[in-house]
Formats: sequence, structure tokens, C-alpha cells
Amino acid sequence: MTTSTSHTVPELHPDTHRGLAHYAALLPGIALLFAVGYAGKFIEQSIARYGKAHHLTLPNIEYVLWAILIGILIENTIGLPKIFQHGISTYEFWLKAGIILLGSRFILGDIAKLGGISLVLVVIELAGAFTFMTWLGTRFKLGPKLISLLAVGSSVCGVSAIIATQGAIDADEEDAATAIAAILALGAVSLFVFPLVGHTLHMSDHAYGLWTGLAVDNTAEATAAGALYSDAAGKFAVLAKTCRNAMIGFVVLGYAIYWANKGQAAAVTNKAAFLWKKFPKFVLGFLFISLLATLGSSANPSIAALGFNKPQLLALANLSRWAFLLTFAGVGLRTNLRDLLFKQGARPFIVGAVGEVVIAVLTLGMILGVNHYYHL
Amino acid sequence: MSAPIKRISLDTWAVVLSLALAALVRLGLIKTVSW
Repeated sequence: MTTSTSHTVPELHPDTHRGLAHYAALLPGIALLFAVGYAGKFIEQSIARYGKAHHLTLPNIEYVLWAILIGILIENTIGLPKIFQHGISTYEFWLKAGIILLGSRFILGDIAKLGGISLVLVVIELAGAFTFMTWLGTRFKLGPKLISLLAVGSSVCGVSAIIATQGAIDADEEDAATAIAAILALGAVSLFVFPLVGHTLHMSDHAYGLWTGLAVDNTAEATAAGALYSDAAGKFAVLAKTCRNAMIGFVVLGYAIYWANKGQAAAVTNKAAFLWKKFPKFVLGFLFISLLATLGSSANPSIAALGFNKPQLLALANLSRWAFLLTFAGVGLRTNLRDLLFKQGARPFIVGAVGEVVIAVLTLGMILGVNHYYHL
Repeated sequence: MSAPIKRISLDTWAVVLSLALAALVRLGLIKTVSW
């Protein structure tokens, strides 16, 4: 990785740092994630309290934005001492835990209905994004494997998909780092642009959340961009993004077979095992928690006793919020503007940027079209 | 030679932590979580 150590996917049990010392090394960074996230929450609440006390109507700026901005400010001014970096990289772990616990706010019927609409849109988005990114990358004369990585990153799920694909198609580290930098830079921009567009078009929470989940590539940024609009929009963004994430195995498998047939990657011997390995397991956790939420909402007392009751659901939803608070702080703290702007080639960035804009417009058109018929 | 330690993925850790928290809530050991 060339961009920054904080862009690497954290491993909670690497061979090189076994035992308690490894986990202890995570603590300073996790404490910083909490401090930054809580500072964001404190600012949001303080502004609300001030407005109430002085009878002023102040804009309600969610803690999400404050946490991200504080994080960006720290990373890009004083910088992060090394002692924090290992723990900061756990933000993706908190993201996944937050998504699983968010399952408590969905019942399976909703997931089937909303997920069904999302899945259809995801398939269209995937096809459109792949075709366009491949065409655009070829026009800009990018290397074929870099094109594959950019196409996967912009159509499926950002950094995780790029890393999964890099291993499967034997792509260069340099190409993966370039693709990741482009996706992260554009994800950072989307945090500010998407809510503006959503408010300008007066989009409903549902429509906006679906759009964000479909168009913003990295899961952390998609969740943050949704939550910046509203709590409900954040929930829908996570659902749509989870549908996209669930496709990762199939897409990576497709690319692995394609490059293996060209003799430029190892052959896939066991496709089922490959799919299972690449499938994001947190999706299963999310579905399991929503299954228990669904059982708890049953009118039949003996079935309801198997699931969560209302106070338990509230506790789980709040645990999910705390996990997301750490995530959003991490999004800001790992956003190094200098790296994102200058440490990548101009052509991959242009391809990524043009691709992102086209995908955002395409998915917005789809959402507005679906909204016309289904009133999201 | 000892067998290499199998890495537990980030996903799996997230599932383990979340399900452990959900179990604590379900068992009533965590009753309320304020926000």
C-alpha cells in the first residue's frame, strides 16, 4: 500500500503480533476513535441545547459530520502518532459490528421487500458500472488489471472488494493501492456532495438511503453519507450497501476465472469454497439478528419469547449506534487529504472520478424512476 | 512442526462480538444502553 498505513485492512490476529500485547496495542487508537466520535456527539448535543435555551432554530448537524471533520482535522494537521494507527484501523471492524447489530431495526419481511428492490437495482448498477468502467479505463489506456480493480471497487464495495480481487487475480500491490486511493478520495467527496444533492431534490429518507447505498463505494462512507442525511436514511443506506456487499463473492469469482483463463492468475478449483471464503460473513450476522427481531415481533407469545422484546431491541440499536460512532471517527482519522490528492496517478483518478459521477447519476435516475412507481 | 495458526477474519470477529453482545442483551445481563 502506498497511500497510508491506515488504509490497510486490519487483522485482529496477525501471526506477527500474537497474544495480549497485540490487543493492548489496539487500545490507544480505539480510545482515540471513541474520543473523536464522542466529541462529535457532544458538539451536536451542545448546539441543540444552546438553540433550545436561547429559543433559536439552529441547523441540526449530525454528530457524524462533526466526528468526520474532527478526524480529518487531526490527521491533516498534527497527524497521528504511530501508537494510535493500529487501533484506528479497527474502524472497519466497528462498522461491521454496527451493521450486524443494526439488524435489530429490521424485520425479515422488510428486508425481503426492500432488499428485493435493492437487489434488482444492485444488479442493474453492477452491470452498468462494470461496462462503463471497463470502457472508460480502456479509453484512458490503464492497465487491464487496474481496470478490473477500479471496476470492482466502483461497482461492488470499495476497498474490501479491491483487496479480495487483488489476491484472486494476482494484481500488483501498486495497482490495488491506486484503485483504493481513487475510491477513498471519491468516497470522501461523496460525504459532502450526496447530502447536498439529496436535500436539493427533497428526497425521502428511503430514496436517499437507497441511492447512497447503491452509489457510494466504500461501506463506511456509504453508511456515513446516509447517516449524515438522517438516522432512517442511514438505515436504508446500510441495507442497500449490504445487498451490494453480498455480491462480492460472485464478482470476484467471475474476475478470477476470467484472468485464470488468460493464464494470468491461479485457477479456481473449488468454486463453492471460493464463494464462501469471499462472502462477507457479517451479512449472515445481520440476517440472524433481524430473524430474532422478527420472532420477537410475532403476535404468538411462544414465538415472540424466542426473539428480542422492545427494550432489548432498543438496547441493540443503541449498541449499533455506538459502534458506528467509532466507525465515523475512523473515516475522518484515516482520510489523509495529501495522500488522496497527490499520491496517485492522474489518469486512474480521472477514470474513477468520471466513473463515480456517471454511476451516481445512473443510480439517481433509477431511484427517481422507482420512486415514481413505488413511492419510496 | 506445529500447524500454522489459522487467522480469524475481521468479519468473523465482528460476528462473534455482535452475537456475544446480543446474547448478553437477550439474557438480561445488559438491560439498557443509553445513547
